[in-house]
Amino acid sequence: MVPEQHSNDGEVNVTDWEPPSLRAQNEIELWLGADLAHLPIVRSVVATLATRADFDLDSIADLRLAVDEACSTLITRALPGSTMRCRFLVENDELRFQGTVVSENGSAPSTKSFGWRVLSTLTDSVDAHVKSNGQGHQVDIELAKRRITVDVPGAGGA
Amino acid sequence: MTGSRTEPTKPTSSNEYGHLTPLFEELAGLSADDPRRAQLRDELVTGHLPLAEHIAQRFSGRGVAKEDLVQVATVGLINAVDRFDASRGSDFLSFAVPTVMGEVRRHFRDTGWLVRVPRRLKELHLSISAASTELSQRLGRAPTPSEIAGHLGISQDEVYEGLEAGNAYNSMSLDEVLSGDTENLALGDTLGEEDAGLAGVENHEALLPLIQELPERERKILGLRFVHNMTQTQIAERIGVSQMHVSRLLARTLARLRVGLTEQDEAR
Repeated sequence: MVPEQHSNDGEVNVTDWEPPSLRAQNEIELWLGADLAHLPIVRSVVATLATRADFDLDSIADLRLAVDEACSTLITRALPGSTMRCRFLVENDELRFQGTVVSENGSAPSTKSFGWRVLSTLTDSVDAHVKSNGQGHQVDIELAKRRITVDVPGAGGA
Repeated sequence: MTGSRTEPTKPTSSNEYGHLTPLFEELAGLSADDPRRAQLRDELVTGHLPLAEHIAQRFSGRGVAKEDLVQVATVGLINAVDRFDASRGSDFLSFAVPTVMGEVRRHFRDTGWLVRVPRRLKELHLSISAASTELSQRLGRAPTPSEIAGHLGISQDEVYEGLEAGNAYNSMSLDEVLSGDTENLALGDTLGEEDAGLAGVENHEALLPLIQELPERERKILGLRFVHNMTQTQIAERIGVSQMHVSRLLARTLARLRVGLTEQDEAR
């Protein structure tokens, strides 16, 4: 999968087209309007990645719920009309997800909320960060879940 | 109460239809071409309509319109009236209830998919679901797609396909119906426990009324996952439904709580 490129007016000028810097070759990055209507897409992506990385069905379901929860939290904080960036990376038996929005609200999502309880139950680690600059605050939630290591003879083969 | 009739109380449901019983006997005594048959049949169907409505009601809230359910249940009722053999001495209700419920279940089975999914995919999804349950019991945890592929002797791509087909499948209906009489689940009252388990949560006061409004089974599942930290597979086994169903119920419950909390925030 290739990250989507948005050209300004449908015209792509290759010379000033800056490929985004993925943190790793197998990273997947999505840019979407910060709108709850896009949640099913993000959920599908994480489920597809986890399925293909052979996570167990519980973990796949948990990741769907966790990404849903994280993105909902972010979208409700995002500036109206802004975009959300979602990054997915499967590496070393671990799936990492990072969602980022720009917000007016400079405080990190509370770690005492029910939503946070949900996130921390569903994942192995979850963290929120806020970076502020002159225009606003960049809020992100990063979560990770490890794959159980399965060693079943014959599984996946033949 | 609206539209309730002010007749004397009807103590049991079988008494409610007791006056219709002689009609079955009369019907049984008529020859096949007697014009009175049609009239009796109409009377029997009309007289038992509340039964069809009652059964339809039990299946409501599962993604199929109430009117459709009543219609399907009525078809089941007509079949029951036509097939009932009074000479066997059994009671019509004990024959009709399973017949009508069977008709409604069949309807769910046929229409439980949001999108038309090819039969092959439906069957693939069902066999994956069954394999998953079996493997979970054997492994003590949820299986991975490769384990399911190995178990069923199919390729991993087919497993992916079958799992994806499940997403096109109308959330609640089929699972709900196939998982049987959920009203009778003895879930116990663990609200106190869930309450204590969530005491450290900052939006506790806002959350509790929302949790109390949840159907008992959803509340139980929520507590088992987020207070007792059980896996979906463990919960599925405990509640007696599939892991995929637990997953859907949890997704629905979390979405509902989020909406509830957001509304409260906005109202503040």
